[in-house]
Amino acid sequence: MKGFFATFKHDHWVMPYLRRYRKLLALVLFLGFMTYFCGAALMFNSGYLISRAATHPYNILMIYVPIVLARAFGIGRPAFRYAERLTSHNWVLRIVSDFRKRLYQAVEKQAVAIRQTHQTGDVLSILAEDIDHIENLYLRTVFPLVIGWLLYLFVVIGIGYFSWPFGLLMLLLLGVIVILMPLLSVAINGRREFQARQVQRQFYTQLTDAVLGLGDWLISGRRHDFLAQQDAPIDEIASLRRADHHFQWWRNFAIQVVFGAAVIFLVWWAGVMFTHNQAEANWVAAFGLALFPTVEPFSEMSQGVSEWPVYRNSIQRVNALDENEPVKVAQTEIGALEELKLDHVHFTYAGAQRQVIDDLSLTLHPGEKLALLGPSGTGKSTLLKLMLGDERPSSGSVTLNGEPIARLQDQRAQLFGVLDQQPYLFNTTVMNNVRLGNLKATDDEVRAAIKAVELDDLIASLPEGYNTEVQEAGSRFSGGERQRLSLARILLQDAPIIILDEPTVSLDPITEQHLLDTVFSVLHDKTIIWVTHHLAGINHVDQVRFIEGGHFDMQGTPDELYRDNARFRSLYDLDRGR
Amino acid sequence: MIDQRVFKFPGVKPAAAIMAVLTVIQAIMIILQAQYLSVAIVHLWKQQPIGTIVAPLAVFAVAFLGRHLLTILKDWLLYPFVEKTTKTLRKQFMAKLFDLGPSVVAEKGTGNVVTMGLEGIDKIQTYLMMIIGKVLDLSITPWLILIYIAMIQWKEALFLLAIYPLIIFFMIILGLAAQAKADKQYAGYQRLSNHFVDTLRGLPTLKQLGLNETYADNVYHVSEDYRKKTMATLTIAMTSTFALDFFTTLSIAIIAVFLGFGLMNSTIQLLPALVILTLAPDYFAPIRNFANDYHATLNGKNALTAVLDVLQRDTPSDRELLPDRDPVWQADDALKFDHVNVGYSADDTTLQDISFDVHGFQKVGIIGASGSGKSTLINTLGGFLSPQTGEINVRGTQVPHLDQKAWQRSFVYIPQAPYLFHASLRDNLAFYSPDADDDAVNAAAAKAGLTDWIATLPDGLNTSIGEGARGVSGGQAQRIALARAFLDDSRRILLFDEPTAHLDIETEVELKQTMLPVFDHHLVFFATHRLHWMNEMDYILVMDHGKIVEQGTPAELQQRDGAYVRLRSEMEGATVK
Ligand SMILES: Nc1ncnc2c1ncn2[C@@H]1O[C@H](COP(=O)(O)OP(=O)(O)OP(=O)(O)O)[C@@H](O)[C@H]1O
Ligand SMILES: Nc1ncnc2c1ncn2[C@@H]1O[C@H](COP(=O)(O)OP(=O)(O)OP(=O)(O)O)[C@@H](O)[C@H]1O
Ligand SMILES: [Mg+2]
Ligand SMILES: [Mg+2]
Repeated sequence: MKGFFATFKHDHWVMPYLRRYRKLLALVLFLGFMTYFCGAALMFNSGYLISRAATHPYNILMIYVPIVLARAFGIGRPAFRYAERLTSHNWVLRIVSDFRKRLYQAVEKQAVAIRQTHQTGDVLSILAEDIDHIENLYLRTVFPLVIGWLLYLFVVIGIGYFSWPFGLLMLLLLGVIVILMPLLSVAINGRREFQARQVQRQFYTQLTDAVLGLGDWLISGRRHDFLAQQDAPIDEIASLRRADHHFQWWRNFAIQVVFGAAVIFLVWWAGVMFTHNQAEANWVAAFGLALFPTVEPFSEMSQGVSEWPVYRNSIQRVNALDENEPVKVAQTEIGALEELKLDHVHFTYAGAQRQVIDDLSLTLHPGEKLALLGPSGTGKSTLLKLMLGDERPSSGSVTLNGEPIARLQDQRAQLFGVLDQQPYLFNTTVMNNVRLGNLKATDDEVRAAIKAVELDDLIASLPEGYNTEVQEAGSRFSGGERQRLSLARILLQDAPIIILDEPTVSLDPITEQHLLDTVFSVLHDKTIIWVTHHLAGINHVDQVRFIEGGHFDMQGTPDELYRDNARFRSLYDLDRGR
Repeated sequence: MIDQRVFKFPGVKPAAAIMAVLTVIQAIMIILQAQYLSVAIVHLWKQQPIGTIVAPLAVFAVAFLGRHLLTILKDWLLYPFVEKTTKTLRKQFMAKLFDLGPSVVAEKGTGNVVTMGLEGIDKIQTYLMMIIGKVLDLSITPWLILIYIAMIQWKEALFLLAIYPLIIFFMIILGLAAQAKADKQYAGYQRLSNHFVDTLRGLPTLKQLGLNETYADNVYHVSEDYRKKTMATLTIAMTSTFALDFFTTLSIAIIAVFLGFGLMNSTIQLLPALVILTLAPDYFAPIRNFANDYHATLNGKNALTAVLDVLQRDTPSDRELLPDRDPVWQADDALKFDHVNVGYSADDTTLQDISFDVHGFQKVGIIGASGSGKSTLINTLGGFLSPQTGEINVRGTQVPHLDQKAWQRSFVYIPQAPYLFHASLRDNLAFYSPDADDDAVNAAAAKAGLTDWIATLPDGLNTSIGEGARGVSGGQAQRIALARAFLDDSRRILLFDEPTAHLDIETEVELKQTMLPVFDHHLVFFATHRLHWMNEMDYILVMDHGKIVEQGTPAELQQRDGAYVRLRSEMEGATVK
């Protein structure tokens, strides 16, 4: 019980909806109750009807009321049921749809760090499992439980009205089914259901990782290992499920046994109670038959409750998602860009030892073009993240027009256009993908951008043209083509600072040269920070800076460097393939 | 009503046969139970002493218990079959996934493939567990009950019989409509999970484009779309259940009224009337149960279709044509492509008329513009794509494709975009040869120039990397992949697809020093845009628009003054400009 309340104490995924839709929920519960009420009443009424008829009343009018009632209950039961199912499902599905959006929003808050904080499979399992569970929490646990209890109270009070000692007996007997069995289920089986879900969740994460890296698995030829890795959870889930099923069968059997006993007691009681005259005896059949329709709602309760630990875990998981939201800094806005300044910036990744950026300063003015070079792993991409405010300097500051970048996050899409080192193409058409660069761009502008990256001929040659689906991660296209589609997005962007992290990776030298010419001419009036690995197109920039060991160790215009710096010259030669 | 495919699973028929027998016994129990409960009630109605109902109630109790014990027995019988089938399906699915490789994932989507293997097969399990029992119930229980009722009172039996086809008819009509909707719903579900995975993978990009918040609406639309489709199916399923419920409940009410009149006119006695009334709900119960779970059935059916679609795909046969030998590749072996065409789909060819001839431990450079077909060629060499036409000859053996078991053991392949698994750095480095010891792993890491970096990691080789763990730089990721290749020296063929694209020149030059000695005793295929590597190659294939436009030794190509020379001079021009 303590766990129960603790779960909901800080919950903001389940309870708010229960509160907000109180009336609708009351309606659902009412409809559900009426369904079973009508079912039981139909049998009750019919039992009475035929018993009464068997006494040969001299007038049909004597049984007219039960006849009409029989039809009313007969129509009422399905109608109520239909209304109940429609209302409850409609409501639950709506909430769940809302949940999916919330799930995205919760994850999206951590967008930058997502690759470090979440595994895709983990989030996928929240989507596919946890959200489903919350749906079932309502449909399989909350509703049946409350409806079952209402029905239970009704039956017990109804019988208690005739004889309170027997009412008490029924209270106990049926109480075994509606209270004891559910508690027992959750105590014995809850753990197992929970475990099975844990394994399944783990399986999600692991399988997604394996599927994303399927190409590498295939290449490795380790078919056996791949299968062995999946076999473990498959077998584990199977054996947990088996135990779970066995328990369920026996539990359902026990419920039936108790129920059968209740029927026998009821008949016995009716026999003792209603046999003083014929008019009374007519009620025996009514009581004898009325209980049967209630077995269905009563027996559903235990299963619903035994799934509780699973739901609890899901509720905790979704709640945890938006609990560790990054703290938000108060935001401001700046006008036209005047200056981008890094002032004695130091930076170490959280949890890492090595200081990646060590006392680095840099000032850029509108329209300036900077090339950043440096050995692999030296911190070029990190520096870009600092400029964008995705990471915060350990000390020192990054400012735009004197405002710290952390305070400009709301405006960053207007300030920066970014092509990062692993650009992603979404599973939609070429047109839609490129248009993500600027949603307001017209079709013609998008086509012009694609032409600028020299993909127009290729796209035109495809049967579906600009409507070709690029598939997940752009797998329909070659590495260089993907890179160019991502670059086309940047050409559409209308931001004063453009950040390019290896924009021409995977491109042949000729295409590379053309593209660099295009990029620098299309974006001639923007501030450009360009991370590159070699010197092709280096003449386009005003200054070149080399990062090594966390700080700049060579800088100057390309010409100066070529003239004065032996290392630069040797790089230059290397790059030309000498 | 029952899916024919269910009967194709091994072990279903004997289980079903025994279950049928049990269902018959169960139906008899149901009849006994109704009969003796009625007897007890009639005794009471006749105001006989309470002692007279002991015996009938005892029989009722036994029949009641028997009936529910039989339910357990039936489940007990069926479950092993269901468990085995789902387990096998799951394992086959995983194996197929491995055999088909990334192309099926590209087609179906990551989210879809994953949920199909997990949720999908769960749904199949529920479906199998349900469908067999329910269909047996449906085809046995009502008829036995009907026969019994007919023996008591044929008129009521006739009424019950007459209403049955009507109900079935309704079921079929609505079932067909629901099936159509359920197909759409399933498609919506697939789209939802794919869309979600796709969005997650691209989230950093969305953020950079400033679209991360707007995209929530997109997610909402896809989700709403799925909700509407689900609701459409549910509405039909519920309406059909309603129709059924309505007819059956009303039938019970009508029977009760019929019986009432019959009793008044003395055409029937109370006992038979009561028996009929008690049995009527049980007569309809099987079809009602069936309809109630109809929606779950549809889901299971769709999942089964989707899984079987994957399982029934062809994987290349003839995988053993190349004789096994150790080592697979030696200095005097030859590989020959003769007019080979390759395509990603049957109706277009990406590579045309590829012919070349390489042997021994040659170093073969593959160059060409972006999109010219280098990766496609490397994929064909790795056996991940099968030629449409043309001939491949390895060590004198003619093979239709290179997906040969022996061949697969002979090469290491570094793809253009290697994936880092969520695992320790060590496991990632040793991915191709998991048995390598730490010394070997360290040596390979050193060759890839990773030693200094590893030294800065607090946990060294045990650092967890990949999705959801510590980030690494682009060049480091690439060098981790390269180290994989250095680790396994027994494989004598290296397929490199732009292994240095993400490296700066200085790092690349350093790496080149360690890579070149490795190349000496390997057959190397090296696709790259960094032309300085060409100086080290023995043979060069120049590709353009899916064709090999030039091939030869560097010196030959230099003299020929064709595409190769153009590329090189352009490159130098590019840098000088
Ligand atoms: N999320 C992270 N957590 C901890 N360390 C990180 C993280 N991301 C990167 N690093 C480390 O920080 C260092 C700098 O990485 P960065 O990505 O900035 O390099 P880079 O200069 O862009 O290199 P490359 O040219 O290879 O892309 C590397 O040693 C890398 O391993
Ligand atoms: N899965 C696919 N389905 C259909 N066509 C594809 C697929 N993958 C690649 N292509 C097309 O095949 C052609 C050759 O692609 P490939 O990946 O072999 O080029 P590449 O030479 O490796 O280029 P890059 O240097 O850009 O990596 C391209 O035009 C590309 O669009
Ligand atoms: Mg980088
Ligand atoms: Mg390629």
